[in-house]
Amino acid sequence: MSTMLSHAEQAPGGGVLRTSVGIAGRSVRTIVRLPSAFFPSVLMPIFQAIAFSGTYFAITLIPGFPTDRSMNWFLPLACLMGSGFAGVGLGLTTIRDLESGFFDRLRMAPTPRLSLLLGPLLSCWFRVIILVTVVLGVGLAFGGRLTDGVLGLFTVYVAALGIATMGAGWALGLAYRFGDMRAAALMQLTLFNALFLTNAQTPLNVMTGWLHSIARVNPITNVLRLARQGFLGEVTWHDSWGGLVAILVLGGLTLLFAQTGLRRLNQR
Amino acid sequence: MNLATSPLASPAATTHSRLTQTWAMSKRSIFAIARQPALVVPSLIFPLFFAALGASAFNKATALPGFPRVDSFLDFALAGNIVQGVLFGSVTGGTALATDIELGFFDRLLASPTSRVSILLGRLAGAAAFGGFQALFFTLALMPFGVSIAAGPVGLLVVVLSGATIATAFGGFTAAMALKTGSSEAVQGSFPLLFIALFFSSAFFPRETMRGNYRTIADVNPVSHLVEGMRGLVVEGLTAANVAKALLVPAAIGAVSITLALRTLSSRLASR
Repeated sequence: MSTMLSHAEQAPGGGVLRTSVGIAGRSVRTIVRLPSAFFPSVLMPIFQAIAFSGTYFAITLIPGFPTDRSMNWFLPLACLMGSGFAGVGLGLTTIRDLESGFFDRLRMAPTPRLSLLLGPLLSCWFRVIILVTVVLGVGLAFGGRLTDGVLGLFTVYVAALGIATMGAGWALGLAYRFGDMRAAALMQLTLFNALFLTNAQTPLNVMTGWLHSIARVNPITNVLRLARQGFLGEVTWHDSWGGLVAILVLGGLTLLFAQTGLRRLNQR
Repeated sequence: MNLATSPLASPAATTHSRLTQTWAMSKRSIFAIARQPALVVPSLIFPLFFAALGASAFNKATALPGFPRVDSFLDFALAGNIVQGVLFGSVTGGTALATDIELGFFDRLLASPTSRVSILLGRLAGAAAFGGFQALFFTLALMPFGVSIAAGPVGLLVVVLSGATIATAFGGFTAAMALKTGSSEAVQGSFPLLFIALFFSSAFFPRETMRGNYRTIADVNPVSHLVEGMRGLVVEGLTAANVAKALLVPAAIGAVSITLALRTLSSRLASR
């Protein structure tokens, strides 16, 4: 066993990539084999985009609102919510694998430890690309309009993958530490709060009071700004860099959190 | 076995004993809620969180055409938040009934000389008590932040009664689902349906500000009307129309849902 692990730990980079793709492939195959488990994660953001843009249609009439299409405002938010929860879903899947013992079998296999993290992350990114593509398609059919073409689409995907990475890193870190469903509520609540304590519902210049104070310093506000540019005007570096920095820093920190959690799990 | 041939439907069974049994089942479901706060705390916290978010995010929207005259967005939001919390709570009640079925406690009740109807009514009474409590809790929690009930103490009483009636009405649907499927997972799966009923209504924004198909759906959605009745009591005052909408709309929904739940119970008993 120890020989196997040492071989695994010394596996070359190609080995990491190969096993990561293998682990990711297992997750991706479940989309085909068990679509009923995947559809809700796509339907929820679609519902959110339609419900929010219909319910809050009138907020576009508030002076200073940056668009006259409520779908343009809420569609990127729905993409990011769906992507963040796709990342959290990874944590839930990992908890199930931990509880069922499948994760122990992965750990016993001559698998590079890094691929236990990278594999699920790759599958999450794949799911997010499908999710964002479908949600954007529906949103555009329901009245959303791009204002900066392909570049506007690109920033949504970048922001969505970034939020998914943060959600995945955070959720995996909690899953490795708790090892059971106690972590589930914490995963979901923190992501929910992180996303809603921002300019999620209205722009900073429209909101008032305590939320404005929090949203102004919440880095996720920058990620939302990055995602929304292509629906509110032109994509500019000024509105992009803050989001990119937030993704790099928070994505890096949450993945580090996951990696240290995995290391602790291996030491148990 | 069906409702008519159940042991306590026999001539020996008295109305008094049925009421006693229903009261005992009600107490059980109320105590179950009190003893497992983790199950119900989300349905108390989330609506308050949304109220706080809305007050900050949408306060400027109260000046828009179509918005009722309110002192703050919180005044407008209270009714929607109560209904939101009560709908969340109704899923918890249905889930508890399904859990009773899954764990076999429901079968033990059936094996005992207990009125079948009291099993269901007891569960719904627990939901009603919690719904009324939620309405009171949200109102009192938001009062320090400027919320006031224009209809006064009588209006508050109607709001609490409305909360209880809404809980019974939607609890009837989740109970029917529990009895039909016997699965707590399936009952929890109904949550998105309630979420849709809530969002495609005027719970969070006035119908007058909506347009197109969305407005049409909100117009025919009964949730819009019960919310507006309760909201009228908060922002307008005590009028017969507001009281009627706040109480009669959920009562009508309840008549449908409880009938459905009783029929499902009957089918479940008949299939045994």
